[in-house]
Amino acid sequence: MKIAWPSFGAQPAFWLALGWLLLLAAVALLAPWLPLPYPAATPDLLHVSEPPRWPAAGPAHYFGTDPLGRDVLAGLVAGARRLLLLSLPAALLATGAGALAGTAAGYWGNQHLRLPLAAATGALGVAWWALALPGILLAYILLASTLVLMLLTRWPLPAAWLRRHSLAFPLDALVLGVATLLGAVPRLVLLVALAAGPPPSHWQLLALLTLLAWPGTARLVRGQMLQVRVQPFIAAAQASGLPPARIWWRHALPHASRPLLAYAPLSLAGLIGLESALAFIGLGQGPEVVSWGSLLATVRQDPAAWWVAAGPGLALFCTLLALQKVAKTGEKDR
Amino acid sequence: MRYFWLGSLLVLLACACSTTPAPQAFAPVRLRWARDPETLDPLALPNQSAVDANNLLHLALLQIDYQRNTYAPALAQALPRAQLIGDSLTLLAYELREAAAWDSGQPVLATDVDFTLKLMHCPGLPNENSRAQFGFIREVHIDPANPHRFSLLCRSQGQEIVNTSGDFSVLPEASLDPEHTLRSFSLAALQDWPANRPPAPAVAALVHRYRQANVARHPNNIPGCGPYRLADWETNRQLRFRHKINWWGDNVQPTPFVLQARPRELIYSVLPDDAAAALALRRHELDVYPQVPARIFQQLQASPAAQQDFVFSTAPSYDILTVGFNTQRPALRDKRTRLALSHLLDPAGLMAATQLGQGRRTVGLLRPDNPFYNDSLPLPTYAPAQATALLRQAGWQRSADGQWRQPGGPPLALTLRYRATETNFATVALQLRAAAAQLGISITLLPSDNSVVTTSLETGDFDLYVRLVKSSPFGVNFMPILHTAAIGTGNFPRFGRPDTDRLLAAISTEGDLPRKRRLLRSFQVLMREEMPLLPLFFMPYRLAASRRLQHVVASGIKPGYAAMALSWPASPTPAGTP
Amino acid sequence: MGRWLLARLGRAAVAAWLIASLVFIGSRLVGGGPEQLALSDATDLSRPTGGGRTLARQQAAEQAVRHRLGLDLPLFYFSRTARPPVQWQWHGPANQYHRWVAGLLRGDLGYSYRDGQPVGTLLGQAVAYSLPLTGSAALLAVGLALGLGLYLAPGPAGWRRRLLLGLLAGWQVTPLFLLALGLLLLFANPDFLNILPGSGQAPEAASSVELVGYWLARSALPLLSLVLAVLPELTLPLAALLRHELKAGYATTARAKGLTAAQVLRRHALPNALLPLVTTLTDLLPTLVAGTVVVEVLFGLPGGGRLLAEAAAAHDYPVVVAAVLLSAAARLLGLVVADVLYFLADPRLRPSA
Repeated sequence: MKIAWPSFGAQPAFWLALGWLLLLAAVALLAPWLPLPYPAATPDLLHVSEPPRWPAAGPAHYFGTDPLGRDVLAGLVAGARRLLLLSLPAALLATGAGALAGTAAGYWGNQHLRLPLAAATGALGVAWWALALPGILLAYILLASTLVLMLLTRWPLPAAWLRRHSLAFPLDALVLGVATLLGAVPRLVLLVALAAGPPPSHWQLLALLTLLAWPGTARLVRGQMLQVRVQPFIAAAQASGLPPARIWWRHALPHASRPLLAYAPLSLAGLIGLESALAFIGLGQGPEVVSWGSLLATVRQDPAAWWVAAGPGLALFCTLLALQKVAKTGEKDR
Repeated sequence: MRYFWLGSLLVLLACACSTTPAPQAFAPVRLRWARDPETLDPLALPNQSAVDANNLLHLALLQIDYQRNTYAPALAQALPRAQLIGDSLTLLAYELREAAAWDSGQPVLATDVDFTLKLMHCPGLPNENSRAQFGFIREVHIDPANPHRFSLLCRSQGQEIVNTSGDFSVLPEASLDPEHTLRSFSLAALQDWPANRPPAPAVAALVHRYRQANVARHPNNIPGCGPYRLADWETNRQLRFRHKINWWGDNVQPTPFVLQARPRELIYSVLPDDAAAALALRRHELDVYPQVPARIFQQLQASPAAQQDFVFSTAPSYDILTVGFNTQRPALRDKRTRLALSHLLDPAGLMAATQLGQGRRTVGLLRPDNPFYNDSLPLPTYAPAQATALLRQAGWQRSADGQWRQPGGPPLALTLRYRATETNFATVALQLRAAAAQLGISITLLPSDNSVVTTSLETGDFDLYVRLVKSSPFGVNFMPILHTAAIGTGNFPRFGRPDTDRLLAAISTEGDLPRKRRLLRSFQVLMREEMPLLPLFFMPYRLAASRRLQHVVASGIKPGYAAMALSWPASPTPAGTP
Repeated sequence: MGRWLLARLGRAAVAAWLIASLVFIGSRLVGGGPEQLALSDATDLSRPTGGGRTLARQQAAEQAVRHRLGLDLPLFYFSRTARPPVQWQWHGPANQYHRWVAGLLRGDLGYSYRDGQPVGTLLGQAVAYSLPLTGSAALLAVGLALGLGLYLAPGPAGWRRRLLLGLLAGWQVTPLFLLALGLLLLFANPDFLNILPGSGQAPEAASSVELVGYWLARSALPLLSLVLAVLPELTLPLAALLRHELKAGYATTARAKGLTAAQVLRRHALPNALLPLVTTLTDLLPTLVAGTVVVEVLFGLPGGGRLLAEAAAAHDYPVVVAAVLLSAAARLLGLVVADVLYFLADPRLRPSA
């Protein structure tokens, strides 16, 4: 894909946006080595909820401190790192997973994906054995019948019969069902349930955020795919004999994912908003994990602390605008 | 399109021009609650709002006098006379006021007290809490000559049961049990009823009648003898209480503090957010804002307009911010390790940071103004050098990577549990973690939901915790938090030896003052040496009230104010005026 | 079409019941039940129990609470021991789930653990409070989104459009509670602009006009915060899609035929760009019904979101399960409505039955 970089004079906004994003990435990657006057998660008990100060000499809280005593500047840096290492990958993963699931569900629907009979018996047998249900003999019978069915495909006559009687895998219903389940249970209940367990590690949190965010993109893309599926060029591709998987991957998916470019920065903002909403309700990570969302959440304890809202708020605002600008410019090149 | 917006904006402005009318003499007093009482069932009082409401609707034998911070007789004429029987029983003799009467005019008699106590043990009612609290009352002996006199036989000899025995709302027998069917059962029989046996038919019928009355939602179905009745309840928004028209307590002369009910109407607004409540106070939609958080209090005081309209008071409370250790964990078994960790906390700095310097530092679980306070002990301070020395004494060695290890053991790494919604706890946890990290000890913070924290503390699944210990001005019984029998319920540090158990039991039953002083001093020294928990400081209660209100009493006992004593200027006692 | 609709509705009902069942079973498996919160704090020294609260007494009290609430029955028809040797045990119809389903079929949603009131009444009251607010917020937001989307479709031309785009991006990034708090501090603050009440009670003995005015004024701030929170989500993708649609061939043809840019936008581009808006709207349906916790807590409104949050915190399972059932049903209904609207808007689409 050829990228035509616009010159600075023609589109200064694009280069500013790109510059901000690169600065953010640099700060995030170099965070452990930056010479900050105060560390991120340490409360300064003598300067709690202090406005920004710029004294002539000595270290000071240049962006102020939050109601817990943590330095806002260090919090911004730590938040940038968390954004780069957690929120951004989660948003990208959620968008990707949602695009795959949604387009697949929209393309194949409930009737068009066919699975051989052996798959059903095999899955049932494995499940019966794994759950140790009473009557373990049945599990062995099912597994044996799976092997028999797989062997039968060697001969043409049984193979043809098996192909005619293959099972329609209801992919659309499955994807929609899982997305609905995740979306219909109020986030609150899900999070209260999760709060009962041990605090999640980095990868668990990444998986969790992806799990919460993918239904949104999936539904959006599925709707778009329903429109794209009936376009004439898809019919032409089918007529020319291309396998369905290839049509889906090379032709349908890129068109159906069009609204995602505008949506992806929104889902990132949504994930950050989710963090601050978590902190509002009282769930979420501990105070030693500083992120922009959790800094914003502390404003509730001291509404007069405008600097705690201004710092992360401006950073979020610039990041979102920058992402949107870069996405729009990328979109224009298509 | 734009005229539509302009027009609607003008309409909004016209309707919402706020003027603050001067309060009339009979205007309602408006107070703030942080949460809805959920249920007004006098047997089940799940939160402080329900307790406050209950104190308006019902009266108990003894109620808290917020001016003197003691229990004062309300339905009873005087504090009960205690008589020790044997080595485990106490007989408390009560006499009810002659003037006390129900709304129907019938006097409040000892049979009503007996009925209420029996109701607490009827299965199927939400009375488990009352049952646990008042299960120590075994028998009620009613004086045959005087229906206002009775004695309670209690299964304990602690000093505080004189107060606790009278702290339940008395319910009318006539409205729930007009046929007196419960009189054929003794209190002891109902207490000892086995759980798997179905209840007697009379008891089952009574339970059914109680449930039908639906007191949780409609407390007026079983009217109490208190000064107020519930006028209106919008769930999660507002409760309205109106003074009864002919209440017997208004005629008691001289009126004791606990029977004073000056406001004609009380309106409680449920406002969960502190900042929104502060704004409501500034806009004169509230008159009393109790338990104001520190920063909001500071902001309110800083505004000159607010200084003119409102009066701000601070009172030291009996809630102690405490850090506790799990003494049964191998890393914390040695008391020198616990002492070392206690030197990593900075109580002075934490008090300055979270409470803006208000509150009282303490050496133990007793408040500094308590006569038994041991002032010869030094206040705990932040001393990392001493912490290092103590760790070395306990056998910990610092290895090359900076971590502390017992020879051949794992590195010193601890977990700290606390309630996630409390910011004070978060500051303490962060400070401890930062100080410990400087020394090379890693502390993992585990803020969780309330029930998760409680379950982990009860099962011992923690190393450290931050919690509020609610002590009391009415007695010095520390057995619920430090006795071995309470391990698994209230004794979270899992601390206790036979000699400490004996000391705690002796403290709670000792009546002789010099002996008690000696016991309590040795108790405080023991706590400092063993350090199962470290009390940081006593939290303050802050109150903001309208300057026009009279008789505003700021107290250190929950809820921090006396609602029934408030009044507007130039308003006579409102009895009889509709 | 009618048969397809009926089939979809039936599937939606089954799915809602399945989700509620999962929440039912999951909530009881999560530890720390309502019995802990029904009993007062064991460490509260200001309300000591004579004789001390020992472990045995505490456990007896908890068992009594569990028995009263019906939590000592087995959870499901069968259960499985967690550790090996793994065994399955059949319990029959005397289990909590059976009771709940039987009640559900009778229309009885159970009784709240906290105050013993029927859950249906509680939920009905809460939803009746929050639904008008969120409904009008949604309508307002949709109207504004359509208007602003049409206005922004030509792209960031002119300083007004740029400012609006910046404002929308700003509102999008701000968490809801900051928006609501900011509005409170701006419009209900005696130090700033004290023109709208954030809480408070209705004036007594007021005329109907005054009451209407009071309700309008009281709901202005919550409404505004909800609208501002949802508006960027609806407007920005719509504007982007409209901009994309304007580049299509038919738009050029329409301009060539003599239609004005506004007419092209409104009559031709808008119907094509509406479908993702519909998707987003139906995503909002559960929030509409259940209410938003943040706005309700900040403004002291007794709505559905606050009910759910407080019930979840207090482990009041019947209320939580009923609220989840309602929210799931709303979401599934929204999906069906979205599919119907898709079919109506674009006849080329077939329902994927």
